[in-house]
Amino acid sequence: MTNKMLAPFSNATREVFKLMLDLDVVTETPEVIDTIVGPNDKLNISIKVVGDLSGEIFYRFPKETTLEMVKIMSGMEFDQIDDFVTSAMGEIANIISGNALIGLSEQEVTCDILPPQIIVGENGADTQEGNILSTTVRTQIGDVDLDIILHSSVDK
Amino acid sequence: MIWKDKYLIGVPLIDEQHQELFRRVTDFVEVLRSRDEWEQKVDKVNETLEFMKVYVVTHFEDEEAYQREIGYPDLEKHKEIHNNMIQYVVNVAEAYEQEGFKEDLMQRFAGKLLAWLINHVAASDQKIADFANRKDVSGNDE
Repeated sequence: MTNKMLAPFSNATREVFKLMLDLDVVTETPEVIDTIVGPNDKLNISIKVVGDLSGEIFYRFPKETTLEMVKIMSGMEFDQIDDFVTSAMGEIANIISGNALIGLSEQEVTCDILPPQIIVGENGADTQEGNILSTTVRTQIGDVDLDIILHSSVDK
Repeated sequence: MIWKDKYLIGVPLIDEQHQELFRRVTDFVEVLRSRDEWEQKVDKVNETLEFMKVYVVTHFEDEEAYQREIGYPDLEKHKEIHNNMIQYVVNVAEAYEQEGFKEDLMQRFAGKLLAWLINHVAASDQKIADFANRKDVSGNDE
């Protein structure tokens, strides 16, 4: 797990937030951690990665940030995280991850992603353990946590 | 959904279709998100879904024809994105009918459609405009 792996994800996050939401973001210096304790009260979206790298990407959006993002996209007010909201946010995580894979392919790393899994509210998210590259993406509508657990699947 | 001029790609036919898609998806979302009972809005939702199934295919075909015309190098990749979306719309429409026109499926469909369309128009389609501008082949001289 290296910062080189994070760059495509932080770049893709910055681009997608700018293009889709007109928001500038700042990505904090990442740190490697052993455990993410769950559950939490955020909207947790995980995307599994398969291919040269395998593992999982976690996007964790605070409720207020989530509702504001969907408001920016739709022009409508939202007061709760429901099927519409989770689906829109899952697609955003999907778009960011898909764009990040293009960045990884430029490092000659070929991967694919699986459909987003969404966990919200009291169910929270399971505790994650392992070599986790963790960072925070700061935006004017709130901070998004980005946690990456990826392992090489091939001997290069 | 808020249309922004930065989404324009400089090809009148495609730009008009993008704006029509934004209008239709906005109508769709507004009906879907209204506080009316599902029974009161299901006809309008079904009508919009039927429109989307046809209009999305027409738009994608026109957009691909333009890409072919200007020699866009990522045409095949872009076609794959279009085909995946068409397949998704078809699958959702089938499931919606089979499951008896349930609201939760339409809510999920509309949420994804909203984000997908903004990204597609704001990012993917802008690459076509960038290519046309670089080659000065936008076909928008008249």
